[in-house]
Amino acid sequence: MSVDQNGAVGQSVLRREDDYLLRGQGRFVDDLPTPLNTLHLAFVLSPYAHARITSIDTSEAMALDGVVDVLTGADLAAMVKPIAAQIELPGYSFNTRDVLAVDEVRFAGEAVAVVVAESQYLAEDGIELVEVDYEPLAAVTDIHEATDPAAPQVNPTVPGNVYFEGRFATDNVAAGFDAAAHVIAEDFNSNRVTAVPIEPRGCLAVPEQPANLVFYSSTQIHHLLRTALAEFLDVAESTLRVVVPDVGGGFGIKAALYPEEFVCAALALRLRRPVKWIQDRYGALLTDVHARDNHYRVEAAIDDDGIVLALRAEIRTNGGAYSALPFGCTLETTGGARMIVGPYRITEYEYTATAVATHTAPVLAYRGVAQPVCFMAIEGIMDRIARRLGLDPAEVRLRNMVPTAELPWTNIVGVRYDTGSFVESLEMAMEMVNYDEFRASQAQGRLVDGKYRGIGICSFTEVSGTGAPGWRARGLTRLPGFDSGTVKVEPTGKVTAFVSHAHSGQGHFTTFAQVVADALGARLEDVTVVEGDTAAGPYGTNTFASRSAVTGGGALIRASEKARLKLARIAAFMLESTPEDIVVADGQMHVAGVPSRALSFQEVAETAYAMNTSDLPEGESFGVEETDFYDPPLVTMANATHIAQVAVDAADGTVDIEGYVVVHDCGRVINPMIVDGQVMGGVAQGIGEALMEEFVYDPDGGVRTATLMDYLLPSSVDVPNYQIAHIESPSIDTVGGFKGVGEGGLIGAVAALVNAVADALSDLDVNVNTKPLRPALLSRLIREAGG
Amino acid sequence: MKPAPFSFVAPESLDEVVRTLAEHGDDAQILAGGQSLVPLMNLRLARPEVVVSINRCHELDYIRLVDDRLVIGALVRQIDAETSPLVQAECPLLAKALPHVGLPATRNRGTVCGSLAHCDPLAELPAAALALEAEMVLTSAAGERRVPAHDFFVAEMTTCIEPGEVVSAVTFARQDPSERSAVREVSNGGHVFPVGGVALRWASSDGICTMARIAAFGVGSVAQRLRDAERALVGSDVGPAAIAAAVAAARSEVDPTGDIHADADYRRHLVGVLLERGLLEEERP
Repeated sequence: MSVDQNGAVGQSVLRREDDYLLRGQGRFVDDLPTPLNTLHLAFVLSPYAHARITSIDTSEAMALDGVVDVLTGADLAAMVKPIAAQIELPGYSFNTRDVLAVDEVRFAGEAVAVVVAESQYLAEDGIELVEVDYEPLAAVTDIHEATDPAAPQVNPTVPGNVYFEGRFATDNVAAGFDAAAHVIAEDFNSNRVTAVPIEPRGCLAVPEQPANLVFYSSTQIHHLLRTALAEFLDVAESTLRVVVPDVGGGFGIKAALYPEEFVCAALALRLRRPVKWIQDRYGALLTDVHARDNHYRVEAAIDDDGIVLALRAEIRTNGGAYSALPFGCTLETTGGARMIVGPYRITEYEYTATAVATHTAPVLAYRGVAQPVCFMAIEGIMDRIARRLGLDPAEVRLRNMVPTAELPWTNIVGVRYDTGSFVESLEMAMEMVNYDEFRASQAQGRLVDGKYRGIGICSFTEVSGTGAPGWRARGLTRLPGFDSGTVKVEPTGKVTAFVSHAHSGQGHFTTFAQVVADALGARLEDVTVVEGDTAAGPYGTNTFASRSAVTGGGALIRASEKARLKLARIAAFMLESTPEDIVVADGQMHVAGVPSRALSFQEVAETAYAMNTSDLPEGESFGVEETDFYDPPLVTMANATHIAQVAVDAADGTVDIEGYVVVHDCGRVINPMIVDGQVMGGVAQGIGEALMEEFVYDPDGGVRTATLMDYLLPSSVDVPNYQIAHIESPSIDTVGGFKGVGEGGLIGAVAALVNAVADALSDLDVNVNTKPLRPALLSRLIREAGG
Repeated sequence: MKPAPFSFVAPESLDEVVRTLAEHGDDAQILAGGQSLVPLMNLRLARPEVVVSINRCHELDYIRLVDDRLVIGALVRQIDAETSPLVQAECPLLAKALPHVGLPATRNRGTVCGSLAHCDPLAELPAAALALEAEMVLTSAAGERRVPAHDFFVAEMTTCIEPGEVVSAVTFARQDPSERSAVREVSNGGHVFPVGGVALRWASSDGICTMARIAAFGVGSVAQRLRDAERALVGSDVGPAAIAAAVAAARSEVDPTGDIHADADYRRHLVGVLLERGLLEEERP
């Protein structure tokens, strides 16, 4: 049997989501109809980074009319077990977190009490009346100071404030450095940032009879959340249902399990009333997971041609005060150490990667995880090699890249690059940006009309679609890897596709329908996608780390193929043919070569559901509902090149982005328009990270960026027009040939912009090795260099 | 992010507004566009017991010429002032400052007088008011007083408005058509607060500068007239040497502080850069 129709995959199908989202008809957690008698929560947040809680007086808050209950850490500890990430890495310091601090707070913003009230206003009135006596203690926020023997201890089970130290070395690194004509070394500093989705977090817990709980949450990981709620609340998982309504952006920070979710569920079960919690922006900035507070020391041994003979990396990442669930505080640490080799032929490699504890917000996933920083480092090294040897930065990259002809290729840490276009993406991007012309114009000097002009490249690999082996390699033994799909052909012949993902704006209702339509042979308009509900469809690993196209797409293709085979068996029986001779196209099935001997999906489905007079073939079961699972290989590696052209104003230090090109390769493209959207949004966030954003703590751990007046986000006016092109190197290791594309926009933008600014200022004796590159910093560098 | 309890009144006339203010004194707070007050209330940094909305006082929604002054009533939205032909013709400096204020969405609600009364050190309009020798009309149940801009802006978020008073209007000096004016600022991003800026106007006769009014914002706790820089220009040909002298004077008469957005040295440097650009009318953001 075969499918014979024009593919929906590869078409820029308009997003089904746009009509209702753009009309304001999206239903986010806070838009859900609130059941009668719903209670509202507000949390008392610690202003101190490190303090002993000497007493909490809740009596005044309890006396406020409309306040139903006020609970402290001790109260919650009786209801929720301490939560902990399960990391199985040698030397990892296991640590737990009470959902409300008990006795001691470890970062500014950590919740110490919760007020339950009849309205959000009353709950917030209530938290002002909770009197907490703190005894402030010395705090440490800096990743280097944290491991000073004199530094205050953050967590009793994390000795010396080292969560984890990973080491790796191939045999001949020292020999590589001995043989080197040059050693290029640099320190790279990265700013702490957080994602700031437009919709903050929130949840609504609704008890249902007899003992069930329906838990709506703005999360990316509904199955993992359900399991964790069951585990830490000690309730039967089968009595819990987690539903994800529309989500207004996740970007990884909603792929964490947060104390508020456990508190909300626990209180709903205790009070047997609906309980709702909607985060505000202040809480979002202080308590959402953070990212990127990293330091990289990189040394490259090179020969006279700029070929890297050996690479050393010392990586230090700030894990914050607790190891957050489910990925743990080592996510950036192991990520950066494993991903930094990128598209390059690094044959000797050594790293030390350390995750430290500090009195700051926990750190977990934010779009790009580690890659924006490790590529800032390795791409910064490539540029420094070029400057040292007088070579063009593009040429240095081309000399070190793994050429397409040598793929599949397994990198030094064991990750297989099955297909890709490292060289081609760089060459195409150079052509699009008129690279040679730009370089020629720089020959007359980079300072023209008061602006230093520069160009920056980031060529990189992009981890996506990680399977179970990929998580095991990073010590994550309780993270599954697979996702699931169920394809159901209804009695009317229409198709419902369930997938174990949860969208936060990516367009899953459209792209998964495209995938199913092609794999099943259905008409695109007949396919409806259902996701984000643990009661609909089987378990999966859910939506983060650019997984959904690879894992959800793969599972749906497999399930669709099973459903199609069943339809073909039934159709063949009805048409007195054989399944092998059935051709499927656009929701119709016919006998090969005899288009008139045809049945619609509906006619076949009616037989399957015993809703006509036809019999089912002997031994065939009722219905058409097929499920399959897909666990991709270790890692599915996408790749891209970004090139940014910038002008740095010599007088005021501002950066204008004058040109921007992206050549991306995510394998087989499901929907080019949606892929472009992913790239554009990612680049916008990369612009923020490279030029504007920084979450700042005082040395004593107090928060300096508690509103969006101080935590600076990019907006439409900061984003240039860009050119985006695609190369399609379908994966040969995954079902469907898809690779992920969710994070590359951000990853590439950071290094491309930092390198472009460094290139612009390269005639001056300045070192650009930090971000964000705000006007005050750049102006100071320029003035100090006499520019 | 919900405000503390408050009561709300929305009088329909200025008379009623000042009577309400007289009744509640310090406990009352005027609500105009709400673009600063409402976030502060939601953060519970502002906790007025009585919010007195002037949004129904249509008598305060006017822009008119009175003798040599342009008068803008308390209910005039920033966007309406920005697009007003009268403002553009009579106070081009104000018209140039307004597009820098917030975003179009906030300017649709925010008022000119509200921004002046809020007195944010990073705000453009107080500096424009200084350069345009504005006078605030403060009305209370006891009557009306007029306060020149340089007395009105006292410190960060602090003006000389007394309990019971409302800024019912602001008047600006009409600019001579031959005057030059400019507003220049630098921000850390396109839609965030500036880290520093200048608003200026000057006039010349036979190539010699006869008048200069220069004010800076973001480089101190409150908008500031740069009188030394003005003196360096008046009587000069506004050539390179005079501009350099004005830039040097401006940098020495400001006393900026550093914060997480920019250090003090940068702000001092910047005020000179922006003054030079403003004088040369270079079209840079």
